[in-house]
Formats: sequence, structure tokens, C-alpha cells
Amino acid sequence: MLRNTLTLLNRNTRLIQRPLSLSGTRYYHEKVIDHYEHPRNVGSFAKTETGVGTGLVGAPACGDVMKLQIKVDDDTGKIVDVKFKTFGCGSAIASSSFMTERVRGLTLDEAGQIKNTEIAKELCLPPVKLHCSMLAEDAIKAAIKDYRSKRTPNR
Amino acid sequence: MDSIIALPHTYHRIADVTLDQIMDNLEVIGDETDLAGFDLEYSQGVLTLRLGEHGTYVLNKQPPNKQIWLSSPKSGPKRYDYDIKEHKWFYHRDNHTMDELLNEELKDILGDLDVLAGLATEDLE
Repeated sequence: MLRNTLTLLNRNTRLIQRPLSLSGTRYYHEKVIDHYEHPRNVGSFAKTETGVGTGLVGAPACGDVMKLQIKVDDDTGKIVDVKFKTFGCGSAIASSSFMTERVRGLTLDEAGQIKNTEIAKELCLPPVKLHCSMLAEDAIKAAIKDYRSKRTPNR
Repeated sequence: MDSIIALPHTYHRIADVTLDQIMDNLEVIGDETDLAGFDLEYSQGVLTLRLGEHGTYVLNKQPPNKQIWLSSPKSGPKRYDYDIKEHKWFYHRDNHTMDELLNEELKDILGDLDVLAGLATEDLE
């Protein structure tokens, strides 16, 4: 699996670097590389688990797909566990990995407030990668929406 | 707004015409401005506008979604869809248009401008 991920990353990196190569080589920020080499909270919750909200955003054709899952304590309304799986460039992986760290322990309302600008700033994302941070914001919002819709099926 | 482009080649033609016009207009401004760090580049469907200390704008085509994507150092990332009735690239969440945003943000840096000046509706049919 790691080899596949590396192959995907290399391919995506080459595809993305092509338009930038005219103005010199670009590198991923060390924070992004850290999330790529040591991603936090990778995985999925079992389908049988309760209290889980799943957000699936992006599209393979665009080069980025993020699946972010939150496990919520029904009593406290807080996110007690988070998992993610991302197909995409290093910035997309880092954005979603960072998001999982960021929302752990938060209430759903607090988690829904996290903006893409915070992620972009924290990871020092270059202009062309700001879209990755937006996708991570979309992912957590989708997960929250999914969890809430499961709790109140009559709405 | 439910009038979105259906065909890929239509999307490419309209997106190219739009970005070409923006490029042409920014080039003219670039020749006249004395803004430190001004740089303009357009290749392989990616338009990069560097404005020194004001940051960098990136506009690029996103063919799978038939969108134009914008990255603004001021307002962040946006994705624009094309409305074939209004002949405008718009942001579905609040319906503002791409040229509105660019004109608004760039006027403080480059003076009053219209990034789509010279673009006729016939060019976008």
C-alpha cells in the first residue's frame, strides 16, 4: 500500500510541477512533508460502528479525493475520534491529516468553524494549493452534516 | 443558475477566450505599472500574476469540473462555473462573478481596471 501511495504521490507531484517548472523548481514545505511521511489518523471506521459521520469530497478526475470520518460522543456532542483517507497530492494529504488533528476533541459546531485559511497558513501552502485546504474544510463539513442527518432521520 | 456548459470543447473555448483576455489586459497594465515584483505568466492553462508584497494570484482551468479555479492571496481559493445565459463565470455559493472579484481586489493594487475589457459577448457564444 505504501508503494502504491508513493507511486501516486510521485505521479501527482510530476503532473502538478509541470506548469510550475518554467519558473524554477518548487518544493513541498517541511510541514507538508511531515504530514505525508507521518500522517495522523489514517484509516476508516468499521461500517458497524455507531456515531460516525463520513464526509467524502472531491473527484478522482480532479486528482483529489478526501474521505474524512468523525466519531462523535452522542452525550457530549464532541468528536472523540477521527480518521481520514486521501487520494491526491502532498498538500491534499497534509491538509486532511492536519484537519483530523485539529478537530479531535471539538464540538461539532467548533469543528464546522475551522476555515481553510487556517490550514493554508499552518502548512504554508503555496497559492496553487489553497484549493486543497478548501477541500479539507468541505470534508469536515460534509462529515458533520452526515453525522447530523443520521441522528435525526425524520428531518 | 442552472445554465451550465454541457460540452467539453465549448468549455475549453470559452475558458481559453476568457483567460486570454485577462492575460492581454494584465499585460498592458504590467507594461505601465511600476509595482515592485510585478510578474505575469501564462502557460499550459495556468495564469500566474505576481504582485510583489501583495501576493500571487493564480487562475487555472479545471477541465473535469468545467471550471476556472482562482487562488487569491486576499480571499483564498474559489471555483467558478460558467453561466451560458449570463455569459459570466460565477461562484455558486454567493453568485458573485470572477471578474467582479478580480476587479475589486486588484483596483487597490493596480488602479481601476476591468480584467475582461475588450471581451465581447459574441466571443463567448
